[in-house]
Amino acid sequence: MSSQKKKNFQIEAFKHRVVVDPKYADRTWKILEHAIHEIYNHNASGLSFEELYRNAYNMVLHKFGEKLYSGLVSTMTLHLKQIAASVEASQGSLFLEELNRNWAEHTKALQMIRDILMYMDRTFIPSTRKTPVHELGLNLWRDNIIRASNIQTRLKETLLETVQKERNGEVINRSLMRNIVKMLMDLGPSVYQQDFEKPFLDVSGNFYRSESQQFIECCDCGNYLKKAEKRLNEEIERVSNYLDAQSEVKITNVVEKEMIESQMTRLVHMENSGLVNMIVDDKYDDLGRIYNLFRRVPNGLMLIRDVMNSHIRERGKQLVTDPERVKDPVEFVQCLLDEKAKHDKIVNLAFNSDKTFQNALNSSFEYFINLNVRSPEFISLFVDDKLRRGLKGASEEDVEIILDKVMVLFRYLQEKDVFEKYYKQHLAKRLLSGRSVSEDAERSLILKLKTECGYQFTSKLEGMFTDMKTSHDTMQGFYEAMGRALANGPILSVQVLTTGSWPTQSIPACNLPHEILTVCERFKTYYLGTHNGRRLTWQTNMGSADIKATFSGGKKHELNVSTYQMCVLMLFNNVDQLSYKEIEQAVEIPTVELKRCLQSLACAKGKNVLRKEPMSKDVSENDSFFFNESFSSKLYKVKIGTVAAQKESEPEKQETRQRVEEDRKPQIEAAIVRIMKARRVLDHNNIVAEVTKQLQSRFLANPIVIKKRIESLIEREFLERDREDRKLYRYLA
Amino acid sequence: MKKEDTVKLISAEGFEFVIDKNAAMVSQTIRNMLTSPGGFAETEHREVTFPEISTTILEKICQYFYWSLQYASGKETEFYIEPEMTLELMMAANYLHT
Repeated sequence: MSSQKKKNFQIEAFKHRVVVDPKYADRTWKILEHAIHEIYNHNASGLSFEELYRNAYNMVLHKFGEKLYSGLVSTMTLHLKQIAASVEASQGSLFLEELNRNWAEHTKALQMIRDILMYMDRTFIPSTRKTPVHELGLNLWRDNIIRASNIQTRLKETLLETVQKERNGEVINRSLMRNIVKMLMDLGPSVYQQDFEKPFLDVSGNFYRSESQQFIECCDCGNYLKKAEKRLNEEIERVSNYLDAQSEVKITNVVEKEMIESQMTRLVHMENSGLVNMIVDDKYDDLGRIYNLFRRVPNGLMLIRDVMNSHIRERGKQLVTDPERVKDPVEFVQCLLDEKAKHDKIVNLAFNSDKTFQNALNSSFEYFINLNVRSPEFISLFVDDKLRRGLKGASEEDVEIILDKVMVLFRYLQEKDVFEKYYKQHLAKRLLSGRSVSEDAERSLILKLKTECGYQFTSKLEGMFTDMKTSHDTMQGFYEAMGRALANGPILSVQVLTTGSWPTQSIPACNLPHEILTVCERFKTYYLGTHNGRRLTWQTNMGSADIKATFSGGKKHELNVSTYQMCVLMLFNNVDQLSYKEIEQAVEIPTVELKRCLQSLACAKGKNVLRKEPMSKDVSENDSFFFNESFSSKLYKVKIGTVAAQKESEPEKQETRQRVEEDRKPQIEAAIVRIMKARRVLDHNNIVAEVTKQLQSRFLANPIVIKKRIESLIEREFLERDREDRKLYRYLA
Repeated sequence: MKKEDTVKLISAEGFEFVIDKNAAMVSQTIRNMLTSPGGFAETEHREVTFPEISTTILEKICQYFYWSLQYASGKETEFYIEPEMTLELMMAANYLHT
């Protein structure tokens, strides 16, 4: 400002000057206009910033802001029109480069202009609500260059063409693309979206739609997915190379929609290469790819899951209902285990251990394993087989692994009590015949069952082990007490079994041979002498015996037979021939058992210590039996098994089934009473639901059976029906 | 003090003040003069002439620049302004955007 008299504190001096020079404004603007031209012509180095700034400052201060602003707009527009002309004139591929170069110059010039006009930016523009200089410069650029009719379409098409070239594998100038795209973004998000992103997405959509059509006609599922994955990664890379980061989601959505979602069903069900084939052929890479790609689209994973589910169910159903497989329980369970391992591996390797897939897998297995009512029996048989011989030589860890796998299958069972029943039978056989390979393994499995189903489930199984232990001690005590008295008789080994813990049947004892009977009586006396108030019953159907026999030529063999077989064979100590009737009378073994036992003694090849007339496979009541003098075997010890099917025969199965049903009744009743005690009043459907839930860990309760139990409880006056609402039950204390 | 780190401010009467560039940049206007792209004369020569600011005022302004730096770094002292100087100083401050 001009210097003033020191004590004059008024601001009059400004007006003074304005009035003095009417041409002041025009003159000053000329200077500034000239400067702007020079800036655009790269001649700024000669200009004095201070002078320009001061002039602009004074113009604003002297109320010529409007003139300054409109002057700026028209001057800048003039220059931009020239630039537009030169950009338009550029040839072919140089177009983008020309545009980019001019943009760089414009931004630089704009920066300088804004600096010298800073005072206007600071005071005049906010008070008159005009666009600030920088923004003004961008807007003018947008309107005069980018949106100029000859440039707008050309720019859009050039950009899209370049992208297309890159998609076709050509090398493009990425940094140039990045600069141009950056320019569009600098001009405001709306410019970027409107002038580039939207058409870009449209064109991409068309491109991928037709490409996916083309691929799906000529590629198998695996290859198609590889291509789709590649395209997707290319687009992501493109965004990171030269597009706005916000475009990533949009463009990947386009690719996902066109290449995956619209072809999803067709891909999954593609013949010879679809999802099912991948699963069957263990194509982990392809499966992983399909998982990662389908995860991106809505319902994609659900589709995979459903297809996998129905495939496993179908396959599992075939497996469990295949009459060939059902013949060999061990093989059957091994198949299930293999199947489980295979699909577990797929879920873990390819499906990212996805929880929903694991659940789907589990529900599928649960579904088809329970399709076959014999599954519980077979699983128990499998364990039986493993514990009898399969685990010999296997290390402790291996044993654990196998048992853990079996437990997984066990968890799928709905009728766990049936399993328990069979397991008890098989365990009893193992324990009584001393055939269990490892007690540790036995106990470990019981522990697993206990953690899975609770104390109740295994208490009887544990009782069996205790019985074995006490019996051992009892036998030692017995022989110590008897001392020499028994030295010449047969050696007796008694296992005292607690009633209830073991799967005993009340079968009338057969007639034991005299020699054995004496020892048995002695033991009975001894046992009852040490334990008061107990009752001993002989379970002759469960024992076994080792007997020595001499055949023609003095050949001696030790025969390992069942108690029944022993009884029969002992008869032949005195005579060489007996008819069926005679045998039956002598031993009083139940008919079925006797036939079975004779069959194994007379008909099994290499073990036929008896001879039968007439020779045939089956035993009939008119047959006669002879001592087979000419029996021979390479081995000294001969084990004569009973011809008992390893799995149960049809009537046995029925019987077991019935016992299971019988055992369920009290459990269902207990559950009903427990629930009613807590609830007091409850309607029928809720009781059924709660009972089912409570018993789920053991078996699937049948609603009809539950209803019958409720009726029985009403009869016994544990419950009563509500007088008004017949569906309501009340608990009677 | 290196030559590149200084700047010369010249008053209406022709007095030259050589001060730190940092100090001079307290003024937004001077900062723009020195940093604007494209090379104005001031940027090239690192010297600015103020034909409308008297020596006394410019001296006071230079003092203010240094005081302001100190104040910004936490040294809170008073900056004394003679009353008769106030008006001119205010106008200069507006001009320099300080």
